[in-house]
Amino acid sequence: MVKYSKIAIALLLALVVWVGCTPEFPVDEDGLLITERAECYVSNFELLGPDFQTVRTKNAEIDTVAQTINVEVFYGTDLRNLYPQFSLVTDAKLDPKITGKVDFSDRVNPKTYTVVSGNRKVRKPYTVNITVQKP
Amino acid sequence: MQRNYLKYSSLLLSLLMLMTACEEEKSIIPAAKTELQNDVIKRTLGPNVVGLNIEFAYAMALAPERGKLVSAQVEASIPGAGGTYLETKTYSTNGSGEDVGIVVGESLPTEGKITKVNFTKDTSASTLRYYYVIPEAARGQEVTFDFTATSSTGETVTYKMGPYKIAKMDMKLDMTVTDSVASYISIADMAVYSAAEAATKADKIDLVYLYRSIPGVTFNHALVSPGADKQYLPNVTLPAGVNKVSKVRKAWNIRDFHLARLQYGVYIDDLDFEKLDLTESANYAINMRAESGAWVETADSKYRAYIYVNSVNNNGKSARISIKRYAL
Repeated sequence: MVKYSKIAIALLLALVVWVGCTPEFPVDEDGLLITERAECYVSNFELLGPDFQTVRTKNAEIDTVAQTINVEVFYGTDLRNLYPQFSLVTDAKLDPKITGKVDFSDRVNPKTYTVVSGNRKVRKPYTVNITVQKP
Repeated sequence: MQRNYLKYSSLLLSLLMLMTACEEEKSIIPAAKTELQNDVIKRTLGPNVVGLNIEFAYAMALAPERGKLVSAQVEASIPGAGGTYLETKTYSTNGSGEDVGIVVGESLPTEGKITKVNFTKDTSASTLRYYYVIPEAARGQEVTFDFTATSSTGETVTYKMGPYKIAKMDMKLDMTVTDSVASYISIADMAVYSAAEAATKADKIDLVYLYRSIPGVTFNHALVSPGADKQYLPNVTLPAGVNKVSKVRKAWNIRDFHLARLQYGVYIDDLDFEKLDLTESANYAINMRAESGAWVETADSKYRAYIYVNSVNNNGKSARISIKRYAL
């Protein structure tokens, strides 16, 4: 009986040690899981005004080869107070992060956002070009 | 031997558990109180704005064999404005869910802070509604209420309600703005002026309402600062001196209950105006739709306001707006 207990305890201990030594999944500096995925692109782009309603006149044109996002906004859109929203491929993330409203009024120097792949090894900068609807 | 003990004790324990589980719980019906008692609920929600009501339901009762109700009164810490009253009807709900009122007393004229009803019907239980019209004197202050009932036994009970903060903001409902006719909005005056009137009050004009149907763009109904870029004031000739640059930010889904009077339980309160930051906002809002709104700060930073668009009329080139305003 005692012998069996000893064996059982030894097995349990071995299991605990084994589980404890299993390597954890790697995470990046934001605490996000680093995966195997190397895909790196923007799948959708939205632009909201100060009233959190879309300011796009039509769907944004996303060129994943040229790495540009061309979007036309309504006449009278206040370009200094816009909220961009990016949809990215699975596991990818955006740099810099969007934390609030963004000033897109400097159209000579358009804003650039970098998409970082799931394995954090591929980085693709996307340029957001905004045009305003004209009468 | 040891095994036997274990068997017996577990059997006993099971029996004990069975007995405990099957024992019928004795319910105790509490004895109803017979003395005079009272209770109050506040029926209105949202911020308390000057000119609006605060409504309460005041319930009072004592055992019928003990006596009947003689009077009910409410004392407000700040006298209510004209129209403050304690209802003389007590209500019950009929099968259709409608409130049916029965007159149970006569109201005495409101004297200062006190509103009173004397019961004329032989009743020992009643709920009276109290409507307190918020007076100008209460703006920005706190108000409390003492609800008191007396019975034929000489008993008196009092229920205190509050304090309730009265909002600092003002409100004006249903102003019609019409393109080129009555299109100059003054937040300071909470009024809409024609071009001729605006010329005499140039320093008080904060926004211009206009409607334009421009091919290729969505302009429609707009609220534009007189000092905004001229492209947002197409074919508008401003009266001399009308040139203020107010800050404007469009808003959607803020259908304030007081302004919209719709089913949405959304209220704009003083705090919203206090926290509002329009420093980087535009000075125009075009393509305003019905049920949308705009936050505004006047050029002199004296007022912040929320302009709600109740309805728009494209053919008439007009809109109906309501305003909440907060003095900084």
